[in-house]
Amino acid sequence: MPNPLKRLAAALLAVVATISASGVALAGEHDSRVPTAAAYVKHVFIIILENKSFSSTFGTSTQDPYLQQTLVPSGALLTEYYGTGHVSLDNYISLMSGQSPTQDTDNDCLPGFTGTIGNYNDVNQTGWAAQGQVVAQGGCIYAKDVPNLPKQLDGARLTWRGYMQDMGNDPARESATCGHPTIGIGTDNTNSGEAPSAAVPLGDQYATRHDPFMYFHSIIDDQAYCNEHVVNLNVLPADLKDERTTPNLVFITPNLCNDGHDGNGTGDPGTTCVNGQPGGLTSADAFLKAWVPQITSSPAFKKDGLLIITFDESNYTENVSVNSATGQEVVDITFPGQTCCDEQPGPNLAGIRPGTFTLLNTPTLEEQIVINGYGGDQIGAVLLSPFIKPGSTSSTPYNHYALLKSIEDIFHLDHIGYAADDARTHYRLNTIGEDEDVFLPGPGIGFSHSSGHEFTSGAKPPWF
Amino acid sequence: MQNIGVVPKQASIVLAILATAALPRVPLHAAGASSADAATLVALGREAFFDPSLSASGRMACATCHSPAHAYGPANGLAVQLGGPGMDRQGTRAVPSLRYTLNRTPIWSKEFVASAAERILEGEEPPTGGFGWDGRFNSLRDQAVFPLLAPNEMANASREAVVAKLQRATYAGDFRKAFGAQIFDDPRMAFAALLAALERFQLDDLSFHPFSSKYDAYLDGKATLTPQERRGLALFDDRKRGNCATCHLDRKGADGSHPIFTDYQFEALGVPRNPELAANAAPGYFDMGLCGPLRTDQANQMKFCGLFKTPTLRNVAARRVFFHNGRFHTLKEALRFYVRRDTDPQLWYPVSPTGTIAKFDDLPARLRRNVDVIDEPLTRRKGAPPVWTDAEIDDVIAFLKTLTDRDVEMASR
Repeated sequence: MPNPLKRLAAALLAVVATISASGVALAGEHDSRVPTAAAYVKHVFIIILENKSFSSTFGTSTQDPYLQQTLVPSGALLTEYYGTGHVSLDNYISLMSGQSPTQDTDNDCLPGFTGTIGNYNDVNQTGWAAQGQVVAQGGCIYAKDVPNLPKQLDGARLTWRGYMQDMGNDPARESATCGHPTIGIGTDNTNSGEAPSAAVPLGDQYATRHDPFMYFHSIIDDQAYCNEHVVNLNVLPADLKDERTTPNLVFITPNLCNDGHDGNGTGDPGTTCVNGQPGGLTSADAFLKAWVPQITSSPAFKKDGLLIITFDESNYTENVSVNSATGQEVVDITFPGQTCCDEQPGPNLAGIRPGTFTLLNTPTLEEQIVINGYGGDQIGAVLLSPFIKPGSTSSTPYNHYALLKSIEDIFHLDHIGYAADDARTHYRLNTIGEDEDVFLPGPGIGFSHSSGHEFTSGAKPPWF
Repeated sequence: MQNIGVVPKQASIVLAILATAALPRVPLHAAGASSADAATLVALGREAFFDPSLSASGRMACATCHSPAHAYGPANGLAVQLGGPGMDRQGTRAVPSLRYTLNRTPIWSKEFVASAAERILEGEEPPTGGFGWDGRFNSLRDQAVFPLLAPNEMANASREAVVAKLQRATYAGDFRKAFGAQIFDDPRMAFAALLAALERFQLDDLSFHPFSSKYDAYLDGKATLTPQERRGLALFDDRKRGNCATCHLDRKGADGSHPIFTDYQFEALGVPRNPELAANAAPGYFDMGLCGPLRTDQANQMKFCGLFKTPTLRNVAARRVFFHNGRFHTLKEALRFYVRRDTDPQLWYPVSPTGTIAKFDDLPARLRRNVDVIDEPLTRRKGAPPVWTDAEIDDVIAFLKTLTDRDVEMASR
């Protein structure tokens, strides 16, 4: 039950933690960091989907009934969860390392657009900025000394694996473990999906840019280590069979179709994935329906699991107008680029975000992309766990940096990059382990925005 | 590892596509479980592939156009081949090589990236895959029906007519052994069995992918390229000039597999109209590849007009006919077209008395904007220097000759 003294103690410890925001955790800090039942989580599962707005995913779309009507009522909905950038890759990297974008990761390492290096090449690091941010002149693969969550887990003797759907389906395209292009070779052939053929009957829709582990030398340079940790999704069922074989962190990336990146979900001709599937939220929903029950019925999840389902970034709005002076049709594809949580742009986005990029300018048509901010906009997230209050909702703001911090708290790890608070700028992220709106009570007292959360006896966890 | 969840569903869909729903399943075990295995199908397919009696003329087999000694490409330099009952009817497209590509050709697809922003930012991928210059067949079984029945190829009047010929073939008994004594009682099933055999032969027989070229030996560290060949390779790879390797992939795969020299994507090069084709005598006739007239399902996709699938360049130096309409007959001429298409368009396209050049004249005027003017070396302005000199073209040819398989090289001597 709520206890004023405990709340005071927790607040004091939070102050101490803020002061120690250099990234070094204090001994005994953990309990204050995770006051809810999230403290009991020992296995975190993450599924990242692609490019959908909160208002669609959890509102207007009719393509994801399983997510909206089955998973949301079974878990907790974080309504104010934001991506950290546009477009994809920078979001995955912020979640894994707390690093803000480089001039290339902000655009999936497409060369010659906002960055000059692009493709699968090393970050050209020129220094360090506050909160461990890499100062860069472009590039995509971070140097060995850039901290990341997987290496933190290693250091704490915790286990992790990345499960990448389709990786290695075509072994000529990429390896079935630790699949990435050769550094410096040019075009990343995993940028587009490969349709089925006689030699590759399932096709191959693995995308390196949706596999964050491939962007850290500390992971990819040790081939055996990388092979062991970044594997095809088809390995997951075996790993789930026993708690001892289930990694503490299970990171799942569906293929380009099943994460909603490709296809618009209708199945209409000309709008599908390369394998003919509808893609969009339709395929994402089918993926969740196939895989979430496997996760939630696993021994590790049932004992102490937390599954987080979210997206990398939100979608855009499209405006079509006519330029009265030129008569051109003007198509504006606009990302609001909204942030939450006092997100910082980082040291590398000057002149890039916000930005307007004219991509086509003919006598009849002008196409431009307008990115009005450096955030990733509102995407939402669903949490499932034995420690979650089913059907609960939280409007506390979170983003990928906050999720990283949350996971670090759960696993008693230091905070890295923008997951670390900065007392100098009063930068402090909320973490889901503090959120009493969605988590059952734990060892401490967290925060709640709802008025009271007295549980009925039936909703109480066994240790309550 | 057992696949679960969505994977089997995908697999079943894909396999259904590959197996072609329009054709009946072949009772492979009807005459005994062991008799119709893959090896049996390969053997039967080989017989059929080389059998001219399956044509209306009695003189045209699959191998007539797809000569094994020429990397399963044409043995002659005709722009298009002759066929039909009297072997006097002209085709409309150059015969491609069947070597290397068949196993790895993806089903025809056009990736649809849901986010318009990413589509624009990262570049919209062109359509990819399918068999034929226009990718209209998703399986070799489907594809084989076309030459068997096309009036200007093997010219059979019907599937039943093909089966009637098959029934009289010297290897008909082997078909009965493999598919059952009554296989010919059901022409539909017998025709499907023939297609299955042809497919298996083309997919499995090692003669379709020998990987015996000098370049293969070079990739394995068993041969060295001459200085001229090395220069040619560098020019081939140079993205700012030749940029060939962007579509004709030339690096080893992640598993060490050797490259096929195509990405199976579609491209509009604006190859000039070929007066050697009788069909081109009609001013209103245009072979526009993806959007027809042979392919019909993308006829409304105007942006696809003029796009043809990228062929492999393996054994290209042994060919005497280039591009979908066979417009060029030497490799040097074909490469000069690439590098001088835009710098010297008068070399390739009709020039009116007033000096107007009908650039990309093998497409209706309204569709000529589909032609690639974005990717190197197709970006140059008229009068600008071409990206390669003639000497550099010779270097590239020297490199391309390293892609000739040993047996093709021997046969050409």
